Amino acid sequence: MRFLLVNIEEVFREAAARWTLLAYFFLSTLFIIVFAAAINLDIVDGTLAGARLFGQDVEMGGQQVNLDRLVLGFEATFSAFLYMLGTFLAIFATAHLVPRLQDKGTIDLYLSRPVGRVPLLLSRYVAGLVLAATNVIYLVGAIWLLVVWKTGVVHARFLIGAGIIIFVIAALLAFAFLVGTITSSTAVSIMSTYALFFVSAMLMGHDRIEAAMSSIWNARLIHALWYILPKTSDLGRTTVAFVSEGQMGGPEVFGTITLFPFVSTAVFGLACLALASWVFQRKEF
Amino acid sequence: MTPPAIEVENLRKVYSSAFGRRKITALERVDISVPQGEVFGLLGPNGAGKTTMVKILLDLTRPTEGTARILGVPVSRAVSRRRVGYLPEGHRFPGYLTARETLSIFGRMSGLDGAALRARIPLMLERVHLSPWAEVRVKKFSKGMTQRLGLAAAMIHDPLVLLLDEPTDGVDPVGRREIRDLLKAEAREGKAIFLNSHLLSEIELTCDRVAVLRKGYVAATGRIEDLTRREPRYRMVSDPMDERLVASFLETGAGVERSNGHLLLTVRDVEHLNALIDRARTTGVSLHEVTPVRSTLEDVFVDLIRTDDPGAEVGAS
Repeated sequence: MRFLLVNIEEVFREAAARWTLLAYFFLSTLFIIVFAAAINLDIVDGTLAGARLFGQDVEMGGQQVNLDRLVLGFEATFSAFLYMLGTFLAIFATAHLVPRLQDKGTIDLYLSRPVGRVPLLLSRYVAGLVLAATNVIYLVGAIWLLVVWKTGVVHARFLIGAGIIIFVIAALLAFAFLVGTITSSTAVSIMSTYALFFVSAMLMGHDRIEAAMSSIWNARLIHALWYILPKTSDLGRTTVAFVSEGQMGGPEVFGTITLFPFVSTAVFGLACLALASWVFQRKEF
Repeated sequence: MTPPAIEVENLRKVYSSAFGRRKITALERVDISVPQGEVFGLLGPNGAGKTTMVKILLDLTRPTEGTARILGVPVSRAVSRRRVGYLPEGHRFPGYLTARETLSIFGRMSGLDGAALRARIPLMLERVHLSPWAEVRVKKFSKGMTQRLGLAAAMIHDPLVLLLDEPTDGVDPVGRREIRDLLKAEAREGKAIFLNSHLLSEIELTCDRVAVLRKGYVAATGRIEDLTRREPRYRMVSDPMDERLVASFLETGAGVERSNGHLLLTVRDVEHLNALIDRARTTGVSLHEVTPVRSTLEDVFVDLIRTDDPGAEVGAS
């Protein structure tokens, strides 16, 4: 436990010293400020005042929309945006953790301590995840507070959506750690993780891709990839549908949220982490 | 019975290139045992296998064959490093940490708690003369200061075995002497020190015993005074000697070399030397100086490295 805490402290110190922490939280803060400015516009204030005066309905495009549903819609849109923003920032801010650890002159200092290699790698992983999760919670929490302050509408679902974002980051970070362990390159880790994100997203339409394949083997390969890779797109839609209670992301998504994307993404992340541990354990420095 | 601090038996390490097409033997049949309280030096030219040896002791790399133990515990177990301090060559501490923070982080990684850290950090900073720079960031340190901080970090958890790779690299002469004194003091407290260095003079001044590695083999091992003890040799400085006198020296079984206008004589003993002096004096040659020639560790090292047979081992103890 002491070793884990030391690693978390060191990762935060390093992030602070290298301006990563500042840039990471500055971007999040900038986004929060833009959002705060947007909800303070006269048109928003007027609409909200009208809603308070004439009940909880807001007139939009000639239709009466319930304020509660409107806020849900806002939060769902933001959760989709935060899903992308949070994930990309997290990978960018933490993908260096393993390559830099493996630098000549650095790895010797760590491995000469009485700690196994797997605990060392896993403690770095947890430290990176804590850093990313802190930022996501800061980002989502601040926006949630602004919405509550401005509208008085409280939706816990928006906060829980942060959990799904952190879950996806955990799986992708495991993949970044695997690539970092094998290649010792931060750039390759970041690029390959972003590529994984987009390839996985494309596989959401695997049915159509498979149908377009001329070879049965290619179709099977696409199908297998869809099973194996994390469900970044499915989980993005699930986040939106969950936060909006089915208003967005498609009612069919909300009604059919299953555990499969979560389980397969978790299995993928755990497999990456296990493989990274195995490679790190066997590696000669 | 107390186990040796370091013990390697029949150690062999072969590095393979990608797909195993090319193999390089870094260590071959290496046996070394270092008892507690000894300062042991590992010498060898570049590529002799010194770094591989230290890496195996720390489980940074694995032996192809053979065993390595520290304080009786196989090095493959993380617990073997609990009482080991290591100073790697070219180490890189995070530059954003201060000296105190560096010792705190690496002390905690070695299992020290808050109370132990509060006691050990000022003590170690004092011992390596870095107390005035305790709150200065490592990135502002000179090479010598970084090296001394590395030594403090290696000793922060009061290890029983110290593995030091070029510990005086970049350190000024005064600092070198301080490090030497520090290491000797640690040895007097019963700690084993395994020194890996190119600086033969440092090894000669610091170590009790050495091993010379050459192409992965142990070419020689023993106490320094035993390794440097050779046949008695003397430098004779005199008026010019003619060839007949030199030939008469050779007839007695002495070895004679002319060097820079003087003679280097290899004799059996002092009696033999006196007999040669008498011969010279009877021919009227005026002697200016007769002094014993001591061989240095460097002489031994260079002779060993130039030997053709890599497997030929010289044992002095």
